Amino acid sequence: MDKFHSIVNEIYEMFKDYKVSKSEIERRLKLLVFEFKVPEEEARRTIINGLRRDLNISKEALRFPLTKISELEPGKWVSVKAKVIQLWDSTSPSIAQWGIVGDETGTARFVIWTKSSKGKVEEGKNYLFEKVIVDEFGGVKSIKVTSLSEIKDIDEEIEVSEEGGEVEAIGALVSISQNSGLIQICKLCGRFTKAGICKEHGKVEGVEVLRLRGVLDDGEKMFEIEMDENCIRSLTGLDLNAAKKMAFENLDRSIVLLELKRKLLGRYFRVFGELKFRTINVKRAEFFRPKILEEVEKTLEEVKNW
Amino acid sequence: MVRLKREIAKRVFAKEFNASRFKIGGNVEKETVYIFTPLGLKCNRVFIVGALLEKEEVRPDADIWRIRIADPTGSFLGFVGKFDPDARESLAEIDIPSTVAVAAKAKLLEKSGKSIPFIRPESINLSDFETRDYWILETAKATLKRIELMKVDSEISRIAKEKYNPNLEEYKEMVIHALQRLKEEAKVVEEGLEEVEDSIEEEVLDINDLY
Repeated sequence: MDKFHSIVNEIYEMFKDYKVSKSEIERRLKLLVFEFKVPEEEARRTIINGLRRDLNISKEALRFPLTKISELEPGKWVSVKAKVIQLWDSTSPSIAQWGIVGDETGTARFVIWTKSSKGKVEEGKNYLFEKVIVDEFGGVKSIKVTSLSEIKDIDEEIEVSEEGGEVEAIGALVSISQNSGLIQICKLCGRFTKAGICKEHGKVEGVEVLRLRGVLDDGEKMFEIEMDENCIRSLTGLDLNAAKKMAFENLDRSIVLLELKRKLLGRYFRVFGELKFRTINVKRAEFFRPKILEEVEKTLEEVKNW
Repeated sequence: MVRLKREIAKRVFAKEFNASRFKIGGNVEKETVYIFTPLGLKCNRVFIVGALLEKEEVRPDADIWRIRIADPTGSFLGFVGKFDPDARESLAEIDIPSTVAVAAKAKLLEKSGKSIPFIRPESINLSDFETRDYWILETAKATLKRIELMKVDSEISRIAKEKYNPNLEEYKEMVIHALQRLKEEAKVVEEGLEEVEDSIEEEVLDINDLY
């Protein structure tokens, strides 16, 4: 009986995107195995081929099932419908293009190998990435476009979810937005308010928060980051109360932003957090202090071997 | 959600940057303009950590300051004015010489047949030697990558060769030199620290002797 159910489940997984119910698969399998006494393996193949014919699905589509980004598993060959959210400059002759793609379930990185000689994708456009391989590095999933793969323009607008999972990023904080420091946000929606006016809700009661929005950039790629009071305190020692006191004593809240810029702008950080759309909501941040001498020696050694 | 794409802040040494003579883009209105370097780097924005050696008010009537920021290979020429209030404000508080971190727009002045690359800082911040050392390492790696890319046939490497015909060996030597200096300095600092600690110890001992 176990064997029976595992075959049902296997076929169901293969065809679940095509709205085939488990009971339908069970019905077909029962018919073949119990009534016609066909061996299980033979029955399995017959059902798969039958469904494929009925639904007009190519063999390849089954080998590279259309998969949502949140369900990507490293090592699997899949097809993905996604929107290109961000393109980064190529940093190696072997990479034609790379960046971030997203669908309604999340975001992932993508790499188009130069050797694949696949057409160029554009930011903001929607594509079907067929026959791509999934891998994972540092907790970030990515899809790789190889010479086996196909990229097709699609005429549909993909809504991108904001969920992107945990990421780690290292880079220099090259910009801090003016909406940072000791600011007031709308009680209803959390948006930045200027002179007590929320763009969405009009005149509202503001809530004072200590926040930092900025850009972390490593020279090859960048992330928008957002830090809350806890993060800011761990880096600068400044918390909401101290910031309020500072603003009060100077009769000017922009002094807090100035202080954050002085202490943090132009420094290198390692941050961990949740990637939402393009922004990392930073949970932990630290000043990045690598072992420079070791790296220098390693790099010199590499150059000598050129 | 249409948003203007923010340009990445490239890492490039002064020597490579200063050898740039050409721009890419800017043919259509609002199209991004990039400085095109001899190693095929397209940069619109740069991030630099180096020594602020000069700041001089060149146009007091217009509040424009000329600055010079040095790295191990040369120096970046820059202009700061009221068009970049953040940079202007922090420059006023910084003495020379100081180690600074700068995010800047890369520009090319084209005048009477000459092309002079310079930077327009968006922000200037006091930095430290550790950050500068990491910047040198990072920039060295980025430059080596570009040298390797130049050896591969591509549109970019073809244009760079056609426009500049760069001596890749020379740039490689530049990077090695920068890294070697970093290595030597790191050793000097370590030894130096020991010496300082020794002399502090001696002084403390002396004071003890006195009392």
